[in-house]
Amino acid sequence: MTSTLVSPPAVTAVGVDKVYGTGDAAVHALRGVDVAFAKGAFTAIMGPSGSGKSTLMHCLAGLDTVTAGRITLGDVEITALGDKRLTLLRRERIGFIFQAFNLLPTLTAEQNILLPLELAGRRPDRAWFEQVVDVLGLRDRLGHRPSELSGGQQQRVACARALVTRPEVIFADEPTGNLDSRAGAEVLGFLRTSVRELGQTVVMVTHDPVAASYADRVVFLRDGRIVDELAGPTPDTVLDRLKALGG
Amino acid sequence: MLKISLAGLRAHKVRMLLTGLAIMLGVGFIAGTFVLTDSMQAGIDEEFAGSAGKVDVAVLPSEGRRLPASTVQTVRSVPGVTEVHAMIRGDAALIGKDGKVYGDLPTVGLSVAQGRLQRYDIVSGRAPGAPDEVVLEERTAERNDYRVGSTVTVVDGEGARHAFTVTGLADFGIDDEVGFRGAVGFTPETAVRITGRPDPVEIDIAGSGDPRELREAVAAALGGDHEVLDGRALGDRLAARAGADTAMIRTGLLLFALVAMLVSALVIYNTFAILVAQRTREMALLRCVGATRRQIFLGVLAESALLGLVASLAGLGLGVALAGGLLALIGDGAGGIPGGDLTLTPPAVAAGLGVGVAVTVAAALPPARSATRVAPVAALRTEREPGSGRFRLGWPRRILAALLGAAGLASAGLGALALEEGQTAMFLVAGGGALVFLAVIAVMPALVRPLSRATGALPARLAGVPGRLAVSNACRAPRRTATTAVALTVGVGLMSLFAVVAAGGRATADAQLAEQFPVDFQLRGQYATGDRPPHPVPAAVVAELRERPEIGEVMELRIHRESAEGGRTEHIGAVTRSALGTMIRPTVEKGSLQDLTPGTVAVQADRARGRDVGDTVTIPTPRGRVELRVVALFSGNTPLPPYVVTEEDFARHFGPRDAEAVYLNAAPGVDPDRALETVERIIAPYPTLKVASTAGLKERFDEAIDTILAVVGGLLGLAVIIALFGIANTLGLSVVERTRESALLRALGVTRVQLRLMLSLEAVIMAVIGAVIGVGLGVVFGWAATESMAPSAVPAVPYAQIAGLVALAVVAGLAASVLPARRAARTSVVESLAYD
Repeated sequence: MTSTLVSPPAVTAVGVDKVYGTGDAAVHALRGVDVAFAKGAFTAIMGPSGSGKSTLMHCLAGLDTVTAGRITLGDVEITALGDKRLTLLRRERIGFIFQAFNLLPTLTAEQNILLPLELAGRRPDRAWFEQVVDVLGLRDRLGHRPSELSGGQQQRVACARALVTRPEVIFADEPTGNLDSRAGAEVLGFLRTSVRELGQTVVMVTHDPVAASYADRVVFLRDGRIVDELAGPTPDTVLDRLKALGG
Repeated sequence: MLKISLAGLRAHKVRMLLTGLAIMLGVGFIAGTFVLTDSMQAGIDEEFAGSAGKVDVAVLPSEGRRLPASTVQTVRSVPGVTEVHAMIRGDAALIGKDGKVYGDLPTVGLSVAQGRLQRYDIVSGRAPGAPDEVVLEERTAERNDYRVGSTVTVVDGEGARHAFTVTGLADFGIDDEVGFRGAVGFTPETAVRITGRPDPVEIDIAGSGDPRELREAVAAALGGDHEVLDGRALGDRLAARAGADTAMIRTGLLLFALVAMLVSALVIYNTFAILVAQRTREMALLRCVGATRRQIFLGVLAESALLGLVASLAGLGLGVALAGGLLALIGDGAGGIPGGDLTLTPPAVAAGLGVGVAVTVAAALPPARSATRVAPVAALRTEREPGSGRFRLGWPRRILAALLGAAGLASAGLGALALEEGQTAMFLVAGGGALVFLAVIAVMPALVRPLSRATGALPARLAGVPGRLAVSNACRAPRRTATTAVALTVGVGLMSLFAVVAAGGRATADAQLAEQFPVDFQLRGQYATGDRPPHPVPAAVVAELRERPEIGEVMELRIHRESAEGGRTEHIGAVTRSALGTMIRPTVEKGSLQDLTPGTVAVQADRARGRDVGDTVTIPTPRGRVELRVVALFSGNTPLPPYVVTEEDFARHFGPRDAEAVYLNAAPGVDPDRALETVERIIAPYPTLKVASTAGLKERFDEAIDTILAVVGGLLGLAVIIALFGIANTLGLSVVERTRESALLRALGVTRVQLRLMLSLEAVIMAVIGAVIGVGLGVVFGWAATESMAPSAVPAVPYAQIAGLVALAVVAGLAASVLPARRAARTSVVESLAYD
C-alpha cells in the first residue's frame, strides 16, 4: 500500500473552499480541503450527511466549480478550465459511476458502454472492451436496454462504461446505494479488482462502512473539513472512526 | 380539488403558458374576425345612414325591372317635391395618362346632383356644375396624375371623345364597382349623354313637409310599380347590400380560424397527456390519501377549463388588438372599406370564449380519463419513464385506419379518375382527403419510428452521438411525437394542397394556351359591361398590320350578338380562314374544321344539344333565321364563339363590320418585343385599343395566383405557428423529464453545444415528419383535386414550393427548440444529479 504514495498523485486538492449562496444565507460546504489521491489506489470518502463528501467529489471531478483553491488532475489544473475544456476533460480522462440513472434508457448496454468513446470520436480498443465485458459478466446482456436489466447489472454496465476509456481516475458516487448486498458486493469487488489487477485509480463516496472497507484508504470529512483518515480499513475500524466523529 | 388544480397550473407555468398561447392565438383569430367584420359593418351602416339621411324619399326599381326615364317627370310633379336627382350609372371610359383608356373595364360614369341631394363626399374642389365639368374618383385621379383643373378625355359608347375640366375629386363611398373600375362624376344631363343610359338606377327626392306623407304621395303617383323608400329604409337597404361582403369575409376567415383551433386542440391534448403522465405519482398520491377517480377526473378538467378561460380572455384581447390594427391599416389605404369604430359585440365575446374553453376542455378529456386509471399503488413504485415504451398498433386501430384509408382513397380515386369532372367529384376528393387524414392520425404513432429513422439518418451520420441520440429520443414516446407532428401536418398539408392546385391551374392554362391558342399578342378594344360589344378594331389598323414585315400571321375575330328566344343572346362569329387550325386550334370532337365552307357551321360541342355532324342548326340573324349544316363539333379554351361560320357567310348575314379582336404573331425570326413596339405605334391614335402580349397576360394570371396563394398561406401560417408551440411544448416537457439524463450526458462529456444540437435535431425530426406527411397528403390530394376540376386539367407539382415548405419546417423546428434546448443546456449538472 505504501508504495503507491511514492508516485505522484492522480488528483490533488489544495485549499479548496466551496460556498453556496452569499451573505447570511452562505453555506460553507468545503473549508480549506487539502487532499491527494494516489494513482492506482482505491480511496473512499466518508462522512456524515452534510459533511460535504458529495460536493468534494463533484469539485474533484470537474462537475462543480470551487470558490477558492486548486484542484489538479495529473498535470492539468482543472479549476482553471472553462466549461468546454472541462467537458472534454471529463470525456477523455475521467470515468463516472453514479448511484442511479447511470444509463441512457434509449441505448443498449453496449451502446451505453461505448458512449464516452463515441463522444470523443475514439475507436474502441476491442480487446480491452471484450476483457472488461467478460470480467463484468455482461457478455449476454450487451443487446439489452437498461429497462431489461437488473439494478446490479445496470451498475456493472456503468462500471464497464467507466473503465472502457481507461480514465486517469474513476469517481463513484454511492455506487451501491440502490443495490442489495449481494449485487453491491459484486460491484465493489469488481472496483477493487480493477485497482489491484488493472492499475485503475478509483475515488468513491459512500456512507456505508462495509463498502468503504473495500478501499485501500478512507478519508473522513466533517463540516467541510478533512478530519481523519484510515489506511487498510475494515468495516469495524471504519465504524469506530465514524462513531468517534459523531456521525 | 380546485386548490390542487390551481397549484397544478402554477407549478407548470411555462408549459401552461405555451399551451395557453396556442389557445390564445386560435381564439384571437376568431375574435379578431368578429371584431373586424362587426366594425366594418358598423362603419358601413354609419356611412350609408349618413348619406341616405340627405334623402327624404327614394325610388328604386323593383327586382329585375327598370326605372323608365319617364318616371322622373311623374315624380317631379308630385306636390311637395322640391328637388329630384335621377341617378345615372353606366360606362364612361376615361383616358388615362398613357393615352389609353384606363383599366380593363371602362370607368363607371355617375351623375352627381347639385344642392341638398349631393350625397357624395367631394374631397377637394366642387361638384360639376356645367356640361364640360367632371369630378374624378380620388384614386382614379391619383393613379393617372390628374388633379383639380386638369383636362381629361372620356370616350362614350360610340367611340366619340369628349373633353372635360376636372372641378373636384370625390369619394363615392362603399361601392365595389367604383373601387375596381374607378369612376367619373358628371352633371345628370351629361351623364345620360356619355353613358347612353337614360334610365335612372335610383331616384332621390327631397321635399318640404313630412317625409312620411311625401313618401306616400310619391308611391301613390307611381301606382305601386316601383319601390318607394324613406331615407332610413334606403340607408338600411344599401348597408345590407354592402354587408353581404362582410358576411363573406367573415365566413372565409372563420374557416381558417377553424383550422387554427383544430391544431390548438391537438397541442392542448398533447400537453395534458404529457402532464398527466408526468404526474402519475402525484395523482397516485392523491388517490392514496382518499381522492376518488371522479375527483381526479374533475381536477384535470378544472385545470383545463381554467386555462381555457384565461387564455381565451387573452385571445379576446389579442383579437381586438389585431382587428384594430387591421382596421387602421385599411383606413389608411382608403380602400372603400370604412374604418368604423372598434365594435366588440356580445356574440363575438361568446364565440371567442365559448370555442376557446370548449376546445380546451374537450382536448383535455382523454388525458383526464387516463388520469383516473392511475392506481394508488403507483405512488409507491419506482418511477418509470412516462409515455415510453414501444407502440403497438392494436387491431381495432388497424382495422379503423384501414377502413378510413380505403374509404378515403376510394372516394378520392373515384372523384379524380372515374367521375365526370365537376363539383361532385371535387367534394368526393375533399371528403376522401379528410378520411385519409384521419387514417394517418390513427396509424401515426406506428409510423414515428420508421419515419424518425429515415429523417434522422443524415443528422445521425453527420452529427454523431448527438444525432443518434436525437433519433432515439424522437422514437421513445411515439404517441407524443405523433401528435406533435400531426399538428404541423394540418397546416403544411393544406398549404401544399393549395400550392399543388395552383400549380395545376397554372400548368393547365399554359398547356391550353400553347396547344390551342399559340399567339403572341392580342389586340382589342376595352371590354364593355353588360352585353355590349367592345369597341371594334378599325379595318385601317388591320390593313396596316398586315403590311408590316415584322408582323407574321394576323387573325381577325368577328362576333355578332343576336337575341334569341328566352332572353338568351347567341354569339355567332367568324375568323380569318387561314388561321383556323394554325393560330387557333380548338379540340375537334367530331367532323373537321377544313370542311367549313359557306352554308356550313362549326358548333361548340356543349351547345350542340344532340345535333351531330351533318345535321342542320337554325341561326337567328337580323334578316331572319338561316339553316346551316354542321361540319364540326369543337371544344377547348379558345376565344371562338359557340357558332363559327365562314367570313363570307358572316358578312352576308350580319353585314360588313370591323373585327372585335385581332390576334397576331411576330414574323419568324423577329424579336416579339420589336413586333410589340410596332403594334403599339400603329394603335397609338386609337385610345380604346389595347394590345396585350400572351406572355404579359400569363404573367398577370401568375401574379393573381401568387397573391391568392400568399393570402391563403398567411392565413394558414397561424396554424403552423400554433403547431410550433406544440413542438416547443413537447420538447420542453421532455427536457424536464430528462433532466437527469441530460446531466448524465454532460458528466460523461457531452458539451453544452452538443446537448443543444441533440434537442434541436429532435425538434427538426418531429417537424420534418409532420411536414413530410403533410406534403405527401397535400400533393396526392392536390393532384386528385386538380384532376377532378376540369377534363383538360394538367396536374403539376410545384417542387420549389414543396421543398420550401419542408425547409420551412426544418427552420421552424430549430426555432421551436431554442428555448427548451437552452434550458436543458443551462441546467447545473450537480443539481440535476442530486437524488431526492
